[in-house]
Amino acid sequence: MMLMPPFELHHPKSIEEACEMASSFMGLGESFDWVAGGTDLLPNYKWHINVKKHVISLAKISGTDTISMNEIGAMARLNAIAGSDDVHPLLAEAAAKVASSLIRNNATLGGNLCVDTRCFWFNQSEDWRRSIDWCHKEDCGSGSDCRVIPNQNTLCVATYQGDLAPSLMVLEGIIHLIGPNGSREIPAEEFFQLDGITRNVLQEGEFVLKVTFPENVSSRVGSYHKLRVRESWDFPEAGISAAWIPGDGSTLRVASTALESIPRLHLEQVAELSGEFNPAQVKALSEAVMKSIKPVNNTTLPPRYRKAMVKVLAKRSLNQILEASE
Amino acid sequence: MSGGYRQQPGASRGTTRKDGKRVAGKQKFPPPGSGGSHPNMAPRDLDWIPESVGGKEPQPAGSHIHDRYRTGTSVGKPRALVDSHAKVTGQAWYGDDVRLPNEIIGKILRSPHHYAKIKSIDTSKVEALPGVLAVATGQDAPNSFGVLPVTKDEHAMAIEKVRHVGDLVACVAAIDEATAMEALNLFDIEWEVLEPVFDPKKGLEDQDEPIHWRGKYHVGKTNVQKRVFQEFGDRSLVEEPSASSHGKWRMEGVHHGFTEPHAVVAHWDPNGRLQLYTPQQVPHYAHRALSTVLDVPMHQINVIRTFVGGGFGGKSDPFPHEMCAAILSRKAGRPVRINFSREEVYWINRGRHPSHIEVKMTADEDARISGFDIDALIDGGGFASFGHVTSYYNGVLATAPYELGSFHYTGARVWTNKPASGAMRGHGAVNTRCAVEVGLDEMSEQLKVDPIDLRLANLLPPHSRTISGFRITSNGMREALERVREGSNWDRKFRQMPLGKGIGIGCGFFISGSGLPIHWDPNRFPHATVHMQIDMDGGVTVHTGAADIGQGSTTAVAQVVSEVLALPIEMIHVRSHESDTSPVDLGSYSSRVTFMNANAAIRAALEIREKLLNAAWEMIGYHPDVLVLNDRRIYYKHDPAVGVSYLQALHKAQEDKGSLIASGAYRSPPMGGVHKGAAAGLAPAYSFSAYVAEVDVDVETGLISCTDVWAAHDCGKALNPLAVEGQIIGSCHMGLGQVLSEKMVYGRTGHLQNPNLLEYKIPSVHEMPNVTPIIVESSDPEGPFGAKEAGEGPLLPILPAVVNAVYDAIGVRIRELPLTPDVVWKAISAKTKSLDGIEPTDLPAPRLTHGPLQATLVERGNEHKVRDKKRQRSEDTSAYVNGVLFGFDPERPMEDQVEGWRTAVEPDPEQLAELGLAGKAWLKQEQRHMGGEQ
Repeated sequence: MMLMPPFELHHPKSIEEACEMASSFMGLGESFDWVAGGTDLLPNYKWHINVKKHVISLAKISGTDTISMNEIGAMARLNAIAGSDDVHPLLAEAAAKVASSLIRNNATLGGNLCVDTRCFWFNQSEDWRRSIDWCHKEDCGSGSDCRVIPNQNTLCVATYQGDLAPSLMVLEGIIHLIGPNGSREIPAEEFFQLDGITRNVLQEGEFVLKVTFPENVSSRVGSYHKLRVRESWDFPEAGISAAWIPGDGSTLRVASTALESIPRLHLEQVAELSGEFNPAQVKALSEAVMKSIKPVNNTTLPPRYRKAMVKVLAKRSLNQILEASE
Repeated sequence: MSGGYRQQPGASRGTTRKDGKRVAGKQKFPPPGSGGSHPNMAPRDLDWIPESVGGKEPQPAGSHIHDRYRTGTSVGKPRALVDSHAKVTGQAWYGDDVRLPNEIIGKILRSPHHYAKIKSIDTSKVEALPGVLAVATGQDAPNSFGVLPVTKDEHAMAIEKVRHVGDLVACVAAIDEATAMEALNLFDIEWEVLEPVFDPKKGLEDQDEPIHWRGKYHVGKTNVQKRVFQEFGDRSLVEEPSASSHGKWRMEGVHHGFTEPHAVVAHWDPNGRLQLYTPQQVPHYAHRALSTVLDVPMHQINVIRTFVGGGFGGKSDPFPHEMCAAILSRKAGRPVRINFSREEVYWINRGRHPSHIEVKMTADEDARISGFDIDALIDGGGFASFGHVTSYYNGVLATAPYELGSFHYTGARVWTNKPASGAMRGHGAVNTRCAVEVGLDEMSEQLKVDPIDLRLANLLPPHSRTISGFRITSNGMREALERVREGSNWDRKFRQMPLGKGIGIGCGFFISGSGLPIHWDPNRFPHATVHMQIDMDGGVTVHTGAADIGQGSTTAVAQVVSEVLALPIEMIHVRSHESDTSPVDLGSYSSRVTFMNANAAIRAALEIREKLLNAAWEMIGYHPDVLVLNDRRIYYKHDPAVGVSYLQALHKAQEDKGSLIASGAYRSPPMGGVHKGAAAGLAPAYSFSAYVAEVDVDVETGLISCTDVWAAHDCGKALNPLAVEGQIIGSCHMGLGQVLSEKMVYGRTGHLQNPNLLEYKIPSVHEMPNVTPIIVESSDPEGPFGAKEAGEGPLLPILPAVVNAVYDAIGVRIRELPLTPDVVWKAISAKTKSLDGIEPTDLPAPRLTHGPLQATLVERGNEHKVRDKKRQRSEDTSAYVNGVLFGFDPERPMEDQVEGWRTAVEPDPEQLAELGLAGKAWLKQEQRHMGGEQ
């Protein structure tokens, strides 16, 4: 039994009201969190991790759960995306692979993008974390060191384990943010920002409104491969998405998730192909992607194995989009 | 409704549903003699009455002493458990469902250190917090307790030192949970941190400060809690083997993963008696321990077992939090509830021991198994728990089902600064069994024979003795092997499938009830007692202490009573929740309940049966020998019209006496050897099982998926086939977790890294294979209607079956559990590297061409099949002891026949140098032999 720590829940009815609410809390110097589906935030709260005094729910704001080929609202539930014929098949596939059916009923696109980074030194109860004298990500004022890589008290290496981000990247998704200071748009690959504590570019009071895709997104063929112990509901231990417009090697995009503090688009490795993409290149590209990744020991499976699996997952994703393009 | 006995007010008009089920509060009560839902007597159900007494139920394994009490009412019929309605409607009351007026919430302060001395505890700030009603520390309860009388090393809360992160330090009760949690931050404790030990190998070495101190029995200054040495047989047989296997295993600790976290409510009633509500498998041990710790006589404590949301061995120790709740409640004068979080469940643990197991085995030129040499070093964590027994079980439960030329075992259990290991489904037998069965697979490969035929030609027969002196009675091992071979289409698949697809075999052997009650002399007191009472209404109230933990013990007891008395099961009411009303019972462990409690219940029911028959004799003039009990009636065998109803006979029997009462008990027969440790593993019967598993292995990622399992289990006689199948499927699930994904991960700092159900990876329904349960009935002569256990044994074979199937799929033998994908990938990588760096997809799949021994084994197996059948059906009652296969005379002591035949429980000095890992525990002397404490 875990007792939920007390917080005040707010339900703005419109985007404007939400922004005003955020800005008034900021003015008062009061801490707050956004909540969408709550499947990530609330379990962390129960563990007494980063509990805020106020929680602003986006659930009652209408019009933020749209689903179409070129635009998906942040409040779209993952099961709705997974079951939709309108979205890009790669997104439906990736959404269907998130956690379990029960969680997908509640979890949202925005929440999955902003999912907190994870680490087995961190996702533990307060008693447990006290027994290791806390850690850098949640140091409870102790100035504690990172437990994964000791003696460097600067970087948090907690792992980003969202499933959808790499697929947004390879589909050239644009993330729309809104906040008290107005709205802005940012490519999916630039949304995430080192390190495990910073996580992304969201400013205080800002939240994800929707994701849009280019006009020609439907012509892309994609594939997402996910590594996990239990297919039924585990977080990814590694994930690779790849997509391209068949026949045009210059459009190939490959992205990875669940391996480092942020998901990444592997532009450099793809660039080495010089605009060509054919089966003969799959092995070299998979290896290049693997070499560029440095997982650490803070998830279920050991980092050496996860790194080796990048090659296998990349190979399978790339082969799949080549086959699908024949 | 005319002339009826009205037994229920207001029910003048009954209502029945279209599906025939009863409608609450509207039951039709037909004329005397009935009860239950149906007004008229049902005809005798000959399909469920054995051949031996004139029925149609086939008895391939022979007749049984209980056959003449069969009435065809309940035994052998698949039925839902009697408490299933309560469970599926949410009305079963588990630990957390108990709500007493005025209750307050207790919370436990846990150690943040692995190993530390408590120099002082200041509770003044805690006491000053408004809302706090009681605070307690170790000083409030200095008496020690433990599940085994020989190893009482636990306290309600730490007295002098804490032994693992999460160990109990103090507790507090407050008006609500938030206040109690706040209070936990206000304890002021001064610690002296000690150097912890995590590696069990280190536990074998001398320490400055051993985790516990056993006085004159302490082994050196090590952390060895228990060491075992056992040697039987002729060791010279192993010297020139024609095949051998030598495997070193590393098995991680696993937890039961039961659904319901521990929860307890303690309440001192107005008369000053303690009422303790707890989901316990063994309420009686908790009862004893509470009495010791609280300094209160046992009769002033009532332990109320709530419904148990899964136990699997994890709720069989008396627990310190149960003491804490009682202490806090006594102080506060109000009921105190303590509920665990999942993390606390892992901290109290008692799961399967993390183990280092080494198995050497050899076979001779005739493919007879000339020797098993087992060494098991097991990691006990911070407390003894059941470890004394586990230390034996890791060896001795490998002495069957095969006939052995020699057996050698060294075992040691060490304390480490981790949560305590204990008993878990398949207690002590699981890890060694896996290692042994995989070794046999390896030997059969060297011998170029089919592993099933190797087993079939080396089985102990029914009614025999193992090398260590266990008495085997019924034995369905052969049938189990034959049926999974056929069911799985083994002969078409084994060593014939493409790379990545594999099939494997594994067997199991387990006790059906421990022969020795831990707390008392079995020659003086019975293992189990059942009381029975029938009042004028005709309903049968059965009092038993058997703890139903979901395995269906209540149903089993109700079924056998219903069978003997020929009453519908709705008329049998089993009361088992309170120690005030239940006879003392050892509880649900060692798979004893069906065997012992059902036997006791049969005896009590027979007493009632006799009274009813005598009453009928008096009424209709026919002797009980020619009377038949059937569906609420007793009648003359040759003319069913001449008879009386059950109620009429009952009321006749009650004349002058009032309600009928009876008591039945079960005691195991004397058996076993006389050597030290001979009682460990002794049981009145043993279960046998054989599984075939089929797997898909992704050779690039190492991910395994188990797709199909054919699971044959010999449970003697399935009293309730539905429940037996459930146990088989559940065991498969639990064993699959251990072999594929579950492990308690202790990181480099010794902390348990995954105390939650996301990171502790229990397979979900999605990971479950298709399980085909196959029930084998060998009709145990002493079991109730022939029944033996089905709760634990079915777990054992799934582990080796999967490991062997993985070998069949990829040709790599892995001896590290669980087989998580990284472990498999590492082994595949090593293999591909050794084959000039080929791609994993180009690995050769193993193949088998039978050698000359195959025909010999098939022939021997066929001969033994004839031998076994005769022995099973008691057509051959000659003596058989382990060794006959090697040409020895079963009538003479082995020592007289073979020079070098040995029975030893301590190593010879010259053996010390060659002992395995756990054997190193024998390099140290006990304090009393060192001139230390006497």
